[in-house]
Parts: sequence; C-alpha cells; structure tokens
Amino acid sequence: MRDWQPFLGLPLWVWLFVFPTLLALYCLWQGPKAARLLAPIWKLLDRVYRISGVIAACFMVLILLLIIAQMVARWSSMTFPGSTEYAGYAMAATSFFALAFTLTQGGHIRVSILLNLNQSTKLWLDAAAMLVAAITATYFARYAIKTNIMSQVLNDRTQGQDFVPEWLLTLFAMFANSPTRWEEMWAKTGSDWVYTPVWLPQLPMSIGTVLLAIAIWDYLIRLLSLRETQIQGEVLE
Amino acid sequence: MSELYATAIFLFVLFTLLGGSVWIGLALMGVAWFGMELFTTRPAGDAMITTIWTGSSSWTLTALPLFIWMGEILYRTRLSQDMFRGLAPWMRFLPGGLLHTNIAGCTIFAAVSGSSAATLNMVGKMSIPELRQRGYPEFMIIGTLAGAATLGLMIPPSLTLIVYGVTINESITKLFMAGVFPGLVLAGLFMLYIMFWHFTYKDQRPEPEPTMPLLTRIAESRFLIPLFGLVFVVIGSMYLGYATATEAAAVGVVGALLLSAMQGSLDWTTFKEALMGATKTSAMIAFILMGAAFLSLSMGFTGLPRALAELIDSYNLSPVALIAVLTLFYLILGMFMDGLSSVVLTMAIVEPMIRSAGIDVIWFGIFLVVVIETAQVTPPIGFNLFVLQGMTRHEIGYIAKTAIPMVGLMLLMVVILVIWPELATWLPENIRKGPGG
Repeated sequence: MRDWQPFLGLPLWVWLFVFPTLLALYCLWQGPKAARLLAPIWKLLDRVYRISGVIAACFMVLILLLIIAQMVARWSSMTFPGSTEYAGYAMAATSFFALAFTLTQGGHIRVSILLNLNQSTKLWLDAAAMLVAAITATYFARYAIKTNIMSQVLNDRTQGQDFVPEWLLTLFAMFANSPTRWEEMWAKTGSDWVYTPVWLPQLPMSIGTVLLAIAIWDYLIRLLSLRETQIQGEVLE
Repeated sequence: MSELYATAIFLFVLFTLLGGSVWIGLALMGVAWFGMELFTTRPAGDAMITTIWTGSSSWTLTALPLFIWMGEILYRTRLSQDMFRGLAPWMRFLPGGLLHTNIAGCTIFAAVSGSSAATLNMVGKMSIPELRQRGYPEFMIIGTLAGAATLGLMIPPSLTLIVYGVTINESITKLFMAGVFPGLVLAGLFMLYIMFWHFTYKDQRPEPEPTMPLLTRIAESRFLIPLFGLVFVVIGSMYLGYATATEAAAVGVVGALLLSAMQGSLDWTTFKEALMGATKTSAMIAFILMGAAFLSLSMGFTGLPRALAELIDSYNLSPVALIAVLTLFYLILGMFMDGLSSVVLTMAIVEPMIRSAGIDVIWFGIFLVVVIETAQVTPPIGFNLFVLQGMTRHEIGYIAKTAIPMVGLMLLMVVILVIWPELATWLPENIRKGPGG
C-alpha cells in the first residue's frame, strides 16, 4: 500500500475504503431505521445522478454538432483544426458523466448466473459484489483525481491542434483557488486561445468516477438497509 | 514456477469477479489491478488512468454513441408498422410467403441499427401478431425471427464490430464493409430455409395472400423508401470514402431525426427518450471498454497471451483447426457471457494468436460476430432468446428449439466463411480512398 499519504492522521485508504464499509455495516444493523434517516439524502443523490446523466446527453449532442461542423468545414474547403480532439473530449465527457446515472438505472451489465441461482443467497452475493465494485470504483476515482491534478501540475498540453480560450481555463481554475485570488486571476487572463491543457478535458473523468463510486456505495447502503436491490429495471441476463 | 502460480491466481480472480456478478467494467479493472500488482512493479493506479483516459477520449470511439443514437431514434418511430406493411406485398410471391418479412425486415433494420436485441424488438413487435393472425406456424415465426435478428450485428452499423475495431485498433469502416456480403449471404440462407419449409411441409402453409395492384404496393411501401435512402447514404458514404465511420454515423443521426419528423413521430418526449437511452447504452459499452483497456495492458505484463500463442504454435495447428477450436471456445464462453464482453475479455489473448497464425483480422472480426451471435440464440444465456421470451411468453426451451435450425445455418455460415474468405475481405479491400481517409 504505497502512494496513500495520510489525511487528518489516518492513511487515505482508511477514509476511502474502511469508513464507507463501516457505514454500510451500520446500515445493515440498523435496517429500516437507517433507511428512514437516509431517505432525504437518497432523494438528493438521485437528483444528482440524473443531472449528471443529462449533462452526459448534452455532450453527446455536442459530439454530433462537432462532427457535422467538421464535415461542413471540409465540404466548403475550410479547416476545423482539432475537431477530432474536441470530439474525443466530448466522447470522454459523455461516457464519464453517464456512468453513475447508468448504474442507478440498471444499465450496466453483469454476469448473473450465480445471482439468480437462489433467492436466499442473492442478497448476500449482491452485497459482496457491490462491495468489491465500490472499492474498485473508489480506487478508480482516487487515481483519476490524482492523474487530473498531475496533468495540471506538470502543465500537460494536448498533442493535437486544439485550442481553448484562456477565460475558460480561468473559469474552471477559480474553483481550485480561494476567492481572494480570483480578482488577480482574472486580471492575468488574456483574450488569447491556448493549446488545451489536458486537465480541462480530464475534469469530467474525475467528476464522473467520483459520482460512480458514490453511487455504488450509496446503492450498497440502500441494499443493506432495505434488504432488497434498489436498482430499478436491471437487465439481468 | 512462481510465474505459473501468479497466473493461476490471476485467472482465479478473473473468474471469481466475473462470476460473482460484479459489473463487467469494474470486474475487468479489478482483475487488471491484480495482474499489475502480481507481475510488475509499475504503479498500477497511474498506469490504469493513463490507459483508460487515452482509450475513452479517442476519436474512433465517437462512432459508437452516434450509431446507438440513430438506432434509438428509429426505434421510437412507427417504422415497425410501416416495415411490415411495406414489405408484405412484395414477399407474397416467394415460396414461404410472409415469413420472409421477418428476414427482410431484420436485414433492413440491421442496416440502421447496431444491436440485435433492438432489431428483434423492432421487427417482432409487428410481424409476430400479423403472421400469427394469418396462420403461419408458431415454430417458424419465432425461429426465423430469432435467427434473422442476429443480422443486426453483421450488417453495418454493428456495435460489436465497433468494439472489436477499437479493441484491436483496426479501421471500423473496413470492418463494416466486411460485414455486408456475409450478412446478405446469411440472410439468403435463412430465406432458403423458409423455402425449404414451404416445399417440405405443404400442410402447414397458410392461405395465400390476396393479390394487390402494383400501384397500391408502391403506395404501401412509401414509408420504406426514405429508410432505404438512409441506408444507402450511411453505407454508401463509407464505401465511397466520402465519410469516416463517425461521420456516416452523424449523417445517420440527422437522417433518422428527419425521417421521424417526416412521419410525425418526433416530439420532445421521444427525442429525450432516445437521447437518454443512447447515453445509457453508450456509457455501458464505454465502461466495459475502459475495463478492457486496462486489462489488456495488464494482460501484456502477465505473459499469458505470448505463452498461449507459443503453445498454439507448438501444436502446429493449421489455421482451419485453430478456427475450429476458437469457434468451440466462443460458443462455450457465449453460454455465460454476452457478446460484447466476450470480445473485449478475450481479444488481448486471441489477437496475438490469430496474428501469428496469419489470419486476417478483418475476416476474423466477421467470423467472431457470427460465432458470438450463434451463442446469443443458444441456451442457457442467449440474450435474443430472452427478448423473444418477453415478446411471445413462450418457454425459453421452446424458443431455443425453434432456433436450432438457425444455429445450424449460422455454423454453416462459419464454414462458408472459412472456404470463401473473400466474402468478407473483398469489399473492404476495394473501398475508395476519400478525403476523410
């Protein structure tokens, strides 16, 4: 277990893996009582997943528009530099933003032969599978964030011909800085277009994977407190 | 010996996670992580994200959501009714009668949709009740539908071929073109089967349809003409090199929107449903691909693919024998997994094998689709069977029995592909080079 620096005195993995597991166990013990307590949070989270799904859909429309723009540009013998990169970024954004939403809608597939074998073992196998899934997804999210931050620190730029306006970068960078520095940041922002820094298109990856991890922990907890899967309409093959 | 030990652990984890009903994308990531930790000292997490980011932000992949979206839009139109009404007057004359609408309908819808379940739903929704009403035997209605729906993955666009192409880094346009003739030949085989039934079981034939004047026939099929137009634009633009696969998909989405607007079935609700449905399906596949990208990186470190390729080499198997072994392997795998997952799971191992045996990878893609689709109509896990079960309320055993002749025909198709590989390789070799490249 290298690469897990301490956070508030405890190694990061305790925060990421042990505490959510303990919370899930607590909900298993409390049952419906925990469910009543958590119901408002579940409602809120479901809304978050849905919004993220809608954002994903918007990016899909964006892919279509980018590709049409590229074709139109080619027919009228103009160039649209970086169009393939932009479409690639939109593709990544579509996939990552939709991960959690798809999960809660039962859209992701899994092999369910053992799951359907027997009703009494179904709950426990499902819970075990979700725990493994939650840990893997959390690991995924943790490294997505790390890579995202490293891209920013190393000032990693695109290999392609795609540019973004500086103000867009400042807009997103605002959230990573304290409000006292905002004025200074905007003062330094020119009207130029710069080569896309990789951290910007990687933001959806960080957000999407974090949401996925939260969604799996969330649905594991729902499963344990209600003793029944809460994923609607799952396609079980 | 410790290498062997580690490989055993690796495989054990693989089967435990997949069998233990962890979502396939995450299961693949988990296995890949084990592989990295067991076989290398490279930091697993960082390598994982680099691979996944490169894979999921690739331009080639953008064809996937667009083709899914196109299918979703058309799925929500009144195409299903129009298809039956438009095709029926033309199929009347063939021996076997309206049963051919199942095959023709599936072939046409396959050319605008990349999934066999969608094709099945779309065609079956209308043809099952209509054919029943006309007194065709249930056994034939369901069997031909189960078989013909598999054309959804053969005839371009095909989601499985996109996934295959992205996984092994081959041109999706070429793969699509390779699927055209084998798809048509397979459709032809199904039609021959219907004719065979017609001449063998004379007592099962229903009453012949009343004749219809030519003008009425054309009027009945007026809705099919724009659909044919869309098919020709999408496939033609790829063949003539005017558009890459992604661009053809974009044209397809726009065309599908126009078509459904023309029919009057496009409103905000259907648009939203189609878009959200496409987003979900696309995310589901993208997620599996993320896991697969990391797994194939990790698999490379385990040395498993190389060892297996060497093993196959040492047996001195001829390509035909290798194909026979792989057919059996994929049929068995298909009993437990869906088609997409079995492609991504195995390609890291199978790709070096087929390349070293000198098998054309484009041809292999088509072979793979036929075999995987065969597995989709054989029990215990056959997705098409489940869809049909939902539609007809028959027992799965009965549906599987109706599909057995189709399974035979599809295996015959594998033999045909082996004997005449040009069927798959000729068209992609003759694509015109266009500005899109």
